[in-house]
Amino acid sequence: MGRTIVIATLAAVLVSCGKHKYVVPTDFAQIDSIAPIYPDYTDIVVPPNIAPLNFALPVTGATEMAVLFEGEKEGKLVAGAGKELKVDIDSAEWHRLLEQNRGAGIRVSIFACMPQGWVRFQPHSLEVAEEDIDPYLSYRLIEPGYELYRQVGLYQRNLTNFDERPIYENNRAYSDEHNHCVNCHNYQNYSTRQMLFHVRANHGGTIIVRNGKAEKVQIKGDSILTAGVYPSWHPKKNLIAFSTNKTGQAFHLYHNEKIEVLDEASDLLLYNADTHEVSRVLGDTTKFETFPCWSPDGLWLYYCTANEPQSAETLNLPDSMAEMRRVLLYNKFHYDIRRLPYNEQTGLFGPSEMVVDCSSRERSASFPRVSPDGRYLLFAEGDYGQFHIWHKSSDLFVKDLQTDSIYPLTEANSDDVDSYHTWSSNGRWIVFSSRRMDGNYTRPFITYFDRQGHAHKAFCLPQHDPDHNILLLKSYNVPELTRDAVRISERELRQCIYETEGTMATYHALKRVTH
Amino acid sequence: MAKQEQRKRTEAVRLPVIVVFFTATWLWAWLWMGDVMRVARESSFWSAEGLLMQFMDGRPWEAISRAGRMLLTAYRWPWLGGLLMAVLLSKATWLMGYCLRLRGWWQMLQFVPAGVWLCYVSYLGFNLYFETETGLIMGIPLLAVVVLLTVALIIRSFSHTHRFPNPLKGTRGGTLVQNRVQSIVAVAIVALAIGVSHWMRPYVRVTARMQRQMLEQDWRGMAETARENAELSYRPIAAYYAIALVMTGEQATRLFDIRMDYDDPHILGFNGTGSDAMNYYLMDCDLAAGLVQTAIHHAMEHMTMNGPTLRALKTLTKCALLTGEWVVAEKYLRIMEHVPFEGDFVAKYRPMLRRPDLVAQDAEFSRVRLTEPIHDNFENLLTQPVFLGYNAALNEGRSVNALWNSLLVHIYTKTMPQFIARCRPIQGATPPQTIAEALLLMSTKYPDVMKAFPGLNFNQGRLLTFMQEVRPYMGSHELRAEHARELFPKWKGYYPYYYFFGNLKATKRKDKSNVGSSNQGVN
Repeated sequence: MGRTIVIATLAAVLVSCGKHKYVVPTDFAQIDSIAPIYPDYTDIVVPPNIAPLNFALPVTGATEMAVLFEGEKEGKLVAGAGKELKVDIDSAEWHRLLEQNRGAGIRVSIFACMPQGWVRFQPHSLEVAEEDIDPYLSYRLIEPGYELYRQVGLYQRNLTNFDERPIYENNRAYSDEHNHCVNCHNYQNYSTRQMLFHVRANHGGTIIVRNGKAEKVQIKGDSILTAGVYPSWHPKKNLIAFSTNKTGQAFHLYHNEKIEVLDEASDLLLYNADTHEVSRVLGDTTKFETFPCWSPDGLWLYYCTANEPQSAETLNLPDSMAEMRRVLLYNKFHYDIRRLPYNEQTGLFGPSEMVVDCSSRERSASFPRVSPDGRYLLFAEGDYGQFHIWHKSSDLFVKDLQTDSIYPLTEANSDDVDSYHTWSSNGRWIVFSSRRMDGNYTRPFITYFDRQGHAHKAFCLPQHDPDHNILLLKSYNVPELTRDAVRISERELRQCIYETEGTMATYHALKRVTH
Repeated sequence: MAKQEQRKRTEAVRLPVIVVFFTATWLWAWLWMGDVMRVARESSFWSAEGLLMQFMDGRPWEAISRAGRMLLTAYRWPWLGGLLMAVLLSKATWLMGYCLRLRGWWQMLQFVPAGVWLCYVSYLGFNLYFETETGLIMGIPLLAVVVLLTVALIIRSFSHTHRFPNPLKGTRGGTLVQNRVQSIVAVAIVALAIGVSHWMRPYVRVTARMQRQMLEQDWRGMAETARENAELSYRPIAAYYAIALVMTGEQATRLFDIRMDYDDPHILGFNGTGSDAMNYYLMDCDLAAGLVQTAIHHAMEHMTMNGPTLRALKTLTKCALLTGEWVVAEKYLRIMEHVPFEGDFVAKYRPMLRRPDLVAQDAEFSRVRLTEPIHDNFENLLTQPVFLGYNAALNEGRSVNALWNSLLVHIYTKTMPQFIARCRPIQGATPPQTIAEALLLMSTKYPDVMKAFPGLNFNQGRLLTFMQEVRPYMGSHELRAEHARELFPKWKGYYPYYYFFGNLKATKRKDKSNVGSSNQGVN
């Protein structure tokens, strides 16, 4: 008992020594403007379970900062920072305050100690939503661009705190024998019980995890274009729709965009994880079908499709220069979103129907994602092409599938790239990739999607050190929300990747696909 | 008594061998290898900020590489970096002697590890820092010191008789002759390392010196360095020479002042196989050619493959300022603020943020602007490397410099019909010397050239003299290759010499440092 008291006392002393208690100044001058905090967390809607929104105050001359969070319902929180001007909010107090003010607002007053004394900026607000965000976000971290890769990994971040752990990282040291890339992680129904990702180059294959067991599969063969690429897991069945793409990149010489990712050809596949059978769903050689996505009820398969553009200037180029023709016409590729009805009993797809006609407006849609309630189709729309993560014109749009109206998520969009989005399992949050911070490095942004179908000002994934976004030289790729943490260990995944050749998928022709 | 006096006198004249070795290695590491190590530092990266060093996590030799990278930052000033290197090597040598209890002639064995390291570093050349772990340059000597010091402390703890000798005093025991011989060996080892780098990797110091001059924006100095070593023919030297000429505006008059018949640089890529070192200078050439986005492309690839390096970050900063991407430029500058001794760079470029007028006034940037593309195109549609392919296909340029660059690419690649066709816009004018020489040479094949450029007649005498002199060697490709070198001193800088005798070694081996398709993907 005595020892416990001593330890508790010591711990209390250490804690009190470690945490500086900031005091809100009483004597200050009022400033008319809102504090220029980084990242911009002003006037946003936040999930009640989000990690503390630590921020920096890049104001020249300021030597100290104090922040007062006042809950509309109840509770107060005082935080602050020394001369580095970076607030490190106490996590426990933060979560308590958010919980106390679920569905209400929090007023944030920021005070800065300037040479002439304390000043207070115009307070801003945080609105705490009623609905939580799924606690886990997984993504790939990779340098933004170009052809080569070296060290890449899939990581999972706990959104309620700052913990990040690798799901799988490739080899750290260069090795001709072991170099490989990982990409396109995907989950069934926001659960990590069933997940997949691709391994490219050495030890290549698709890693499919089912009930904690990893299996490598080779989804390729003479009857299909290439391996499976962009995946979508059927919400109820062990069926995975893949696109299969022959993809290349072209590098701009003088353009405000740097890279154009083009498909030479693309089809849609359906893979049965139980039988290891793969079938071609769509394989029209005159069309480019890509980015499949199941509706939450599993009765529709959405996808993007474009016709090969023609132009007088490239018409005379021989077939051997088809790739050059596509590069020259890169801005003439306009993708629409269509969907195929799927009959779960017969396993057959019905005739395709148009959902978002972008090509007639000389625009291009990409990456369809249906909201968990099945009402909204979220997609990225840009001027051309399908790999919108490199298109500055790319913005998030939704189609209300009940009213057929299509509109941009203006409040969440930016002047730079906004793409690669995912819904939360309750449909109230959208996480997407954006290059808005610096035009080059993608960062995950979170926006609240209200019951009226409108998004709100998006905010950057909170980091313990606000400078993380500046110092990190990698991009966040393919953010995916899940309800639970990935259970399978990195060691088990490595074992599967390194030690198995992979089961070869067998081709099985679908009985009929009607366009 | 007399014997004691004699011993005292002998002690007095003994040379402190370790101090001799320290001095010799310091001079080597500072004056001889200073530029090479400075470039190694630029090809490296170290910061006390954990997030920036995350790329090192889990790498082999991680701790020692991190420490080595930190020490390498001292090479911002080669005298300081050299001092650290000399301290490490001489300390390791001294500890080696102590731990092995070497006496008399055996004491010479203490120089073996440091000597091997010095020679190995000299032999590595570019491979010391190109596509390899830069932390080992200082890390290996540091590791040697740590290991030997640990052993020495253990020995000292258990042995009261085996005391640490004073390195300022001469050899441990032994005769005066042994002391003198050891001092000579200490210097000879350094001389051997110098010999290795001079005879086996002669281009390394020259290239590194040019790169250091480029960092200091001493473009004239760069060109002068290349011309002083005009007979050394290696692609990196030629690449940096071309950059210097572009920056001084002398590309159309002095391009062929150096020999261009590239020898094998003995450089290894990631996969340990040979390379023609294209990746070594690619991003620098892109930027100098005005291809800012291509420079970003190659700097990004460089960072992807190597982790961050000062070279790539500096290139990316400059490119971001040129493209007006202020926020990302600021990001790179913030990162550079976390790197020791990079305050000058940040101080120079930070004021340019959101100030296109200041960017335009910068001497280097204003040169780059002269040859920036007017229209977009795709790298994939051009012949590689892009800085040559772009200029070869150029149809419209921002300045006359762009035209000179385009014409020079054609005469460099000896694609003369295209060269003649591209000279049409300057018909009637007096072209720069090298272009005039090429036109005159082509007038023997295309008589219309003389009509279009009547001023060329003045130079015909020199061409005739040249043709007469080289006639005996014109029989075959092999014959020309055999006599190219002896003709160079007299005809260097003269385009017809390059046309017939330059660049004869067709490099058949592909650049294997361009990591193969297994490392390519859509990112």
